[in-house]
Amino acid sequence: MTLWFEDIDDVTVWPLGDYTFTEEEIIRFAKRYDPQYFHIDPEAAKHSHFGGLIASGWHTVSVGHKIMVDFMYAHDAEQRAKGEEPGVSGPSPGVNKMEFKAPVRPGDTIRFDLTVKNKRKSNSLPGWGLLTSIISAYNQDDELVYRSEIASFSKLRDYKPKLKERVLLAMAAMPVFRKLLRK
Amino acid sequence: MSNPITKDRRHFEDLRVGEVIQLGERKLSKDDIISFAKEFDPLPFHLDEEVAKKSLLGGLASSGWQTAGFSLRMLVDEFLSKVAGMGGLGFDNLKWKRPLMKNDTLTGTITVSSLRRSQSNPEMGIVVLDFDMRNQKDQQVMTLSLTNLVEVRDPSAPIKGDAA
Repeated sequence: MTLWFEDIDDVTVWPLGDYTFTEEEIIRFAKRYDPQYFHIDPEAAKHSHFGGLIASGWHTVSVGHKIMVDFMYAHDAEQRAKGEEPGVSGPSPGVNKMEFKAPVRPGDTIRFDLTVKNKRKSNSLPGWGLLTSIISAYNQDDELVYRSEIASFSKLRDYKPKLKERVLLAMAAMPVFRKLLRK
Repeated sequence: MSNPITKDRRHFEDLRVGEVIQLGERKLSKDDIISFAKEFDPLPFHLDEEVAKKSLLGGLASSGWQTAGFSLRMLVDEFLSKVAGMGGLGFDNLKWKRPLMKNDTLTGTITVSSLRRSQSNPEMGIVVLDFDMRNQKDQQVMTLSLTNLVEVRDPSAPIKGDAA
């Protein structure tokens, strides 16, 4: 849903898609990023209060992110097919809140959805709006798995920069200034 | 009933507010960045060095979620693997302050900022861990506060503040 800032509302629930987690994938992710015993060892995990192997919360969240990126590409393609120019989304400055509510076990199918809760024009980035989105994940029994509140930028369609800002933006695009800015 | 996997590890009672966990170092290669991006964050500026050079980031940078993943891995190596951990409740105020670029080295410290017993589950302690992740130039890359559960060794001990 790469929409222009002006077209974004706070009621639409965007169904991003779903994903089925296998034991092999849960273990592979956890061995690299989160090797706690209840994420990597099915036998040892039986002794944990989870009673068995569960996915790292960060694995579930990373998969949710991938599902969202895929959904955005598909949505862009649909808009282009209709002859419309898709909006532009920018980088995310962070995550206000992430709540892990229920564990993900091997074989669980998790669906993800997104709602924009809040939008305002950015003070720091002229021409961009700042969004606060809620991404929620549910398992096959409709139990909430996680709920996150994520900040991101979305470009304004109707923005006309002032002359001073246009000069600054043009300068920022020149390699020599980009180098200076990064310092 | 004690948990045979965690019985010899540090429990809730062994942790102190203010304890600082010094993390190791992790250098990020081009392959690290691209393989994570393919699986979890397939945006052109995480996948293609030429596209990345022309982007706002000015070069190949890791996905913010990968920076988070490697930070977590360092926390497991230095702390969670030695503690009777029971998983996480979530995190607050994750801020990606600056991108982690190809060949940058990630390091940092994590501080125990709060400890309290769970009111509803006396066998659980709640620990808050504040991340301060930095690159090799000591520039802040990412901060967040992680809330995790740790086993209480003696669940029958009274919970402070619960006397009333």
